[in-house]
Amino acid sequence: MMDHIKVIRKIRDTPTVFSLYFKWDRDVKPGQFVMVWVPGHSEVPMSLSQTGKEKCLTIKMYGDTTRAMDALEPGDFIYIRGPYGKPFSSTKGKTLLIGGGSGMASLRPMINEESTGILAARGKEELLFENEFKDGKAICVTEDGSRGIKGIITAGIESVDLSEFSMIYVCGPERMLYAVYKNIQGKTENAEFSLERSMKCGIGLCDSCSVDGFEICRDGPTFNIKQVSEMEEFGRTKLERSGKRIYF
Amino acid sequence: MSGISVKAGGISFETPGILASGILDENGYTMKRILQEGAGGAVTKSIGVEERPGYVPPVVFEAHGGIINAMGLPNPGIDNFGDEISKAKESAKPVIGSIFASTPEQFLKLAERMVDYGVSAIELNLSCPHVRGFGAEVGSDPILVKEIVKILKGSISIPIWSKLSPNVTDILSIASAASESDAIVLINTVRAMAIDIYARMPVLTNTYGGLSGRAVKPIGLRLVYEVKKELGLEIIGVGGISTWEDAMEYVMAGASAFQVGTALWNHGRSVFNEINEGLASFMKEHKIKNLTELRGVAIR
Repeated sequence: MMDHIKVIRKIRDTPTVFSLYFKWDRDVKPGQFVMVWVPGHSEVPMSLSQTGKEKCLTIKMYGDTTRAMDALEPGDFIYIRGPYGKPFSSTKGKTLLIGGGSGMASLRPMINEESTGILAARGKEELLFENEFKDGKAICVTEDGSRGIKGIITAGIESVDLSEFSMIYVCGPERMLYAVYKNIQGKTENAEFSLERSMKCGIGLCDSCSVDGFEICRDGPTFNIKQVSEMEEFGRTKLERSGKRIYF
Repeated sequence: MSGISVKAGGISFETPGILASGILDENGYTMKRILQEGAGGAVTKSIGVEERPGYVPPVVFEAHGGIINAMGLPNPGIDNFGDEISKAKESAKPVIGSIFASTPEQFLKLAERMVDYGVSAIELNLSCPHVRGFGAEVGSDPILVKEIVKILKGSISIPIWSKLSPNVTDILSIASAASESDAIVLINTVRAMAIDIYARMPVLTNTYGGLSGRAVKPIGLRLVYEVKKELGLEIIGVGGISTWEDAMEYVMAGASAFQVGTALWNHGRSVFNEINEGLASFMKEHKIKNLTELRGVAIR
């Protein structure tokens, strides 16, 4: 079932990232994703960066389809199916949200009074949603040192006490997830990772996005730290669009 | 599981439900998990001579209780597929290598590589409905089908299965042409499409796709029944099976074993065990010792 929905607002978050806001009468939980179709271009999986009655897609321009989405204005339509996948588990108490690049978009619905964020990007213009954290609760890490700590995401993790948090949520490219996993393994059992791989069908049939026999679109995209620790493929190898195995 | 083990297409299966080609069978880890969770065997994604990325999404669309897909035969190419088969074979269950090609020579080359990789049988994809020059375009020509099967049977020592298309006028002539195969696999998807009325265009990037899932079961069942009744060939049934009752219908129509694909979408991997348990319990209730006793019993 494909829903067609009118865009009501468009916000430019960074020079290469924008958000489309719309009303969509479906229950979506943080961590779930949708398939967004841009007729004449392609269909891509995306997490929602707002999951209440008004919903939001936060999009980083990286190819033909996302650039076509950037041409959309309020009043234009988007085509969506979903939501799909297993959401992040909900938790009470202090949370740590670790987002690499546009990974913070899918963590955004979980930002609240008690959450601390570690936001990592190449430079300050790619940092997302820093201002939505309570004052002093957003730890920025940039590779070029243009904001916050200079370095990669693990430098941000070193600056917090992991035992303070009842749950750690992590989202970003797999290489970054793996670096975070290596850094926190053995220090906490309360962590969940949102995995992202080349996805085609979104409904657990085509096997494009699988990792260790789990379909990210159906069994994931969220997996807890115990599950990822048991995966041989995680952070090491995956299939390309053709199904050819490549190594990270 | 006692009573539901079968011999089909020249291979023994502990359980009669086999993972159908094209569904969750590109990555060896996935096939291994599905085999460990109840599938009796697994047919790989169709593999060709060269690497193909497949079509740009949308490649699937839900429609009328089924799925229309046009994946576009994505595959890593035969040279890159050995590791996936090795991984799947860690399950110690039969892995069947599906191959697609345009000519008998290419089919033979692919089959030889699959034998090297250690598959238990070869399934010839003579039926993919949505890629030009392959699949159904090859499989709707009885002379070509006969030649392909003959060459492979003459050179390959493991069983050869021929998966045929329902999108033909006369299934009996194609099935006859493939009759030297160790099994006929019926059916592949039914050619179909969907239009989005708001976008005013076909949903699938390739426009045409193939319908699978519950919606096609009556079609698959009829083709299995007809080919069994008229030609008596060994048949592996596939098309819309999602419950043990569906599987039992296929067996009674003449199938020696059956394949399950699209049902993994709404039932998950547990579908194989659910079907196995349902079949075993029906057989116990009706005092049937082996599933083969029911093969073809409905044929009139």
